[in-house]
Amino acid sequence: MTVSHHPRRPLRIAVTLVLALALVACSGYPNTTIGAHSDVGREIDSLTYLLLILGGIVFVFVEGLLVYILIKFRERPGDTTPAQTHGNTTLEVTWTMLPAVILAIIAVPSVRTIFRTQAKAVPNALQVDVVGHQWWWEFRYPQYKVITANELYLPVGRTVNFSLRTDDVIHSFWIPQMSGKRDVVHKDRPNYMWFTPESSFVWNGACAEYCGASHSNMRFKVFTVPPAQFATWIKHQQQGPVFPAAAAAATAADTSKGAAATAAVAAAAPADTATGTWPRDKLPSWTIPETPVPANVTVAATSGDATRGAQLFKTGACIGCHTIQGVSPGIIGPNLTHVGSRTTIAGALYPNDIEHLRLWIKDARAMKPGSIMPPMGKGLPETMGTFTDQQIADLAAYISSLK
Amino acid sequence: MATTVAAPPSRAATLKYEKGIWSWLTTTDHKKIGQLYLYTALAWFLVGGIEALIIRTQLYGPNGRLVSADTYNQLFTMHGTTMIFMAIMPLSAAFFNFLIPLQIGARDVAFPRLNAFSYWIFLCGSLFINASWLIHKAPDGGWFSYAPLSTRTFNPGLNMDFWVIGIQILGVSTLAAGFNFITTIINMRAPGMHFMRMPVFTWAAFVTQFQIILAFPILTVAVVFLLFDRFFGTQFYEPAAGADPLLWQHLFWLFGHPEVYILILPAFGLVSEVLPTFSRKPLFGYPVMVYSLILIAFLGFGVWAHHMFAVGMGPIADSVFSVTTMLIAIPTGVKIFNWLGTMWGGSLRFTTAMLFAIGLVCLFTIGGISGVMHASPPADLQQTDSYFVVAHFHYVLFGGSMMGLFAGVYYYFPKVTGRIMNETLGKWHFWLMFIGMNLTFFPMHFAGLDGMPRRIWSYDANQGWTNDNHVSTIGAYILFVGMLIFVYNMWRSRRSGTRVGNNPWDAPTVEWSTPSPPPPYNYAKIPQITSRYPMWTREGPHSISAAYPVGAPAEAPEPTAEELHIPMPTPTLKPLLASLALTLAFIGLIWHKQVPIIILGLALFAVVLLSWVLTPLEPEH
Amino acid sequence: MATIALPDSHADHHYTATGQTHTKIAIWAFIGSECFFFASLISTYLIYKGRSVSGPCPHTVCRGLHPILNIPVTSASTFVLLMSSLSMVLAHSAVVRGDRKYSRIWLATTALLGTTFLGFQAYEFTSFVHEGLKITTNLFGSTFFTLTGFHGAHVTAGVLWLVTMLFVDMKRGLGPRDAINVDVMALYWHFVDVIWVAIFTLVYLIQ
Repeated sequence: MTVSHHPRRPLRIAVTLVLALALVACSGYPNTTIGAHSDVGREIDSLTYLLLILGGIVFVFVEGLLVYILIKFRERPGDTTPAQTHGNTTLEVTWTMLPAVILAIIAVPSVRTIFRTQAKAVPNALQVDVVGHQWWWEFRYPQYKVITANELYLPVGRTVNFSLRTDDVIHSFWIPQMSGKRDVVHKDRPNYMWFTPESSFVWNGACAEYCGASHSNMRFKVFTVPPAQFATWIKHQQQGPVFPAAAAAATAADTSKGAAATAAVAAAAPADTATGTWPRDKLPSWTIPETPVPANVTVAATSGDATRGAQLFKTGACIGCHTIQGVSPGIIGPNLTHVGSRTTIAGALYPNDIEHLRLWIKDARAMKPGSIMPPMGKGLPETMGTFTDQQIADLAAYISSLK
Repeated sequence: MATTVAAPPSRAATLKYEKGIWSWLTTTDHKKIGQLYLYTALAWFLVGGIEALIIRTQLYGPNGRLVSADTYNQLFTMHGTTMIFMAIMPLSAAFFNFLIPLQIGARDVAFPRLNAFSYWIFLCGSLFINASWLIHKAPDGGWFSYAPLSTRTFNPGLNMDFWVIGIQILGVSTLAAGFNFITTIINMRAPGMHFMRMPVFTWAAFVTQFQIILAFPILTVAVVFLLFDRFFGTQFYEPAAGADPLLWQHLFWLFGHPEVYILILPAFGLVSEVLPTFSRKPLFGYPVMVYSLILIAFLGFGVWAHHMFAVGMGPIADSVFSVTTMLIAIPTGVKIFNWLGTMWGGSLRFTTAMLFAIGLVCLFTIGGISGVMHASPPADLQQTDSYFVVAHFHYVLFGGSMMGLFAGVYYYFPKVTGRIMNETLGKWHFWLMFIGMNLTFFPMHFAGLDGMPRRIWSYDANQGWTNDNHVSTIGAYILFVGMLIFVYNMWRSRRSGTRVGNNPWDAPTVEWSTPSPPPPYNYAKIPQITSRYPMWTREGPHSISAAYPVGAPAEAPEPTAEELHIPMPTPTLKPLLASLALTLAFIGLIWHKQVPIIILGLALFAVVLLSWVLTPLEPEH
Repeated sequence: MATIALPDSHADHHYTATGQTHTKIAIWAFIGSECFFFASLISTYLIYKGRSVSGPCPHTVCRGLHPILNIPVTSASTFVLLMSSLSMVLAHSAVVRGDRKYSRIWLATTALLGTTFLGFQAYEFTSFVHEGLKITTNLFGSTFFTLTGFHGAHVTAGVLWLVTMLFVDMKRGLGPRDAINVDVMALYWHFVDVIWVAIFTLVYLIQ
């Protein structure tokens, strides 16, 4: 049975509809691994169903037998000493062979699936390089020279081949609704994993290998979109930041295909048609994080000026860790060139809105335990910045304008 | 090595040691050492349980903030480490100690002082690692402590220092006991006690010791590498130096998988003792039960990488380990059927011990089924590192090991103390534990299949995991109530439980021929064994209608060892002193590598050891 | 059914099911365990062979540094250790036949040869450190020093054991009744020797 990477259109529509229905039916469990939405995911599902069915049969048989025995052979008044049976060879051989048969029924499709799903990806697959960091995910599209973080866009119907590496400790890359997980183990020798998304939606991802203080907070979002929208998104990501870069020194990071943006500072949010990003108002509720903000982090400012914020960014410590195309070259933290168009921040821990941005910039370490990003607010312990609350509001305004 | 250099202590001095706390500190009696293990292990089980309760309370609802993420990471690390190394293993050791000599018709273990040393170094190690709580720097790398997260680069504090050293200390205890019990079982069986006449518990213990002496050295090496990296700057787990991050995983799981069989086989052994007694018929298929133990132990060394299906070993390795893992399910599953066969056709009496034994059969089956599900690598890529695997291992460790161990406690309590535990309280304990356990862990299967990763500190309400977590937490509290009832039952029964005679359960194996509790020398005369079930006739137990406890407690006190001219080992403080000295050396290491203290500790250890080996075990006669 | 007979004299006191002493059984179990210990150390050495990114290499010129292992010298120390096994056999044989003079001579010789081996090791370790290979230097340094260091620790323990035996011999004399304890010690000593043969072959000889 070969896996088709390009199902015919009507089939694809039908499958999408069925899955959408299943989605509605299972909407109480948004991250369920049952009913996965990729080719590999469905192969895993078949195995899981087989295992559950066989397991269920064994469970009913064994436990049922146990219950029967407990009732039938319980001690009753007048019982005589039972026959002192020492064994029964036929029976023992049978109940050795029978499990072996059941296991063979499991082993054969398992090994077949292993080899099928771990075969080399198709040559025209979309390449995505994943780099796990403590505690965020970096995504690169080498074929398009795009670097982003925490939000992964994938075209429906095209196989994506992930190359998985870590920058520090072992993490595990997991999108439960798409496919199984794979650990990121080495800095230099990637693990590979591929699948073909089959429907368009938003999916939750998480790190699944304990990796330190903020392991729980190392989440990401996956957007599977129609190929045309993906192309738009890629094109937009390749361009420089939307906010004009005022007299910035050209840096080595400036490899954008498009010129430095000359678009006016957006007074309104960019439409999807321009950026290819998933509209905020169409996000399913379970992809919007609800992490409470720590009580001790506050920012006393009501509005910020993005132009002032841009200046503060360029002269502050931020440039040491973050890349904004044409502005700053830092590679320790996530690429912020188009951070304004992401739906979440801080490893999908908080929604990407101005309030959360301000709090994050002020004291990232309180917002996310162990965060490598230090606090930037003035006077805070371990702070690397001297920003007042107003300056933080300005910075946040700048950051959020980078659509 | 019993070469005489020092004169043995006088008889008067020996008599002084027989009562009070001093008698416990200097004991070499396997029965006392067994009790020390039992109470210490139960105490750590409660500590591990409280750690679990805090975890469950934190996870009760979405975005709990009972503890910080940092504390949470320490809690789940210590919960796992405590339960495995300081609760289940020493509980098994309690039974090894108390039962093995009695079951094989011996007077003690082969090396009684080494036996005492095993206990004391275990106590020291467990206190050492838990002392980290006092400075809120408990280990926080997970109980299996993956590198590079556990290296100094990524975990620079004292937390993991406590872990690496503590594990080494605990390993010394387990290894020493392993050599002791292997020698005991091979060499001290009573005449007629052929291997195929040994009680199944002793077989299970025997096989477990072989796994221990072969698996623990691998752990020792893995942890030595980590310890050296952290303390001396070696490069074993430093990726920057070219080290392979997977070396730790391979070495650890080469130990870790045999370890899980070390954790379950003793419980299997206890169940194999309890079920026949309360079914009033022999164990079904004794030879197969023995062969399956040996096969499990052997195959257990060939499945380790099934803990690593997600690391990208390649399809061939994945397939090989998948098949070996499925293979090992066969001897394990056979045991379940043999236990069912034991009960089939019997006359079942549901004492508390019997209920717990049946509980293992029921719950381990569930754990075994989820285990087989894990054996398929593609499916496992969804299950591993999620709550599904948390459900699996709690079913086999709690529903399996702990149920079996509790069965053993209720069954052997009368032999140890001379009184039986209260059956009403026992049944409350059982049902609360059975219901609580299922409420706690069954929903975790769903949470895992619903995408909840492991070891996460908190989660959002909109992820679909809230209900499962609600139920799990309620179950955990029910478990805790059950444990409180058990503790009360133990305390009360020790003081005022009904006294019993030699064989209150009308059980078949030879340890039930001794008084309850047995005298220090166990058997006045080493018994001559002529069958697997010396206490039953060919037709089975003597009377199956009598209520428990069967038989009356002894009227007259037993003769003393002196009266019977049985030489007994001299009580000695040296095992305790040796443990303290060794621990001192390790304290020197963790405390900023204070070389003088390390040297002092090692020197004291050498001195005590020398004095120990040059002193004969027993007074010269 | 068991027959529990009346209390007896302590005739049954020294009974063992196999006819061997406890220490004999225990030392074999211990040796089995130690095999897995050294197998883990040796495997790690072999896995990491050739994977150091800096620092000296065992057999080849690398990074401008000459190969660091000295096969001729280590061959000599290996010979010394092998001879110590021979003297150990002779010591045991002397104890068995109650030859007090030769039991002392051969025990002392074994201890001396063992100490000589350790001397060679100490020389080797210090010269390596001077040539730029420490335990912290690279994967080769870490694995090499840990493996040979633990072996050396085992030899040291053996030497201390021998010295203790010698001390007992001088105090009260070792006779045929001590043969079993000398036998057990000899087993340990030979095991340590065999491990060295494995290490010497896999680390020094095979390139």
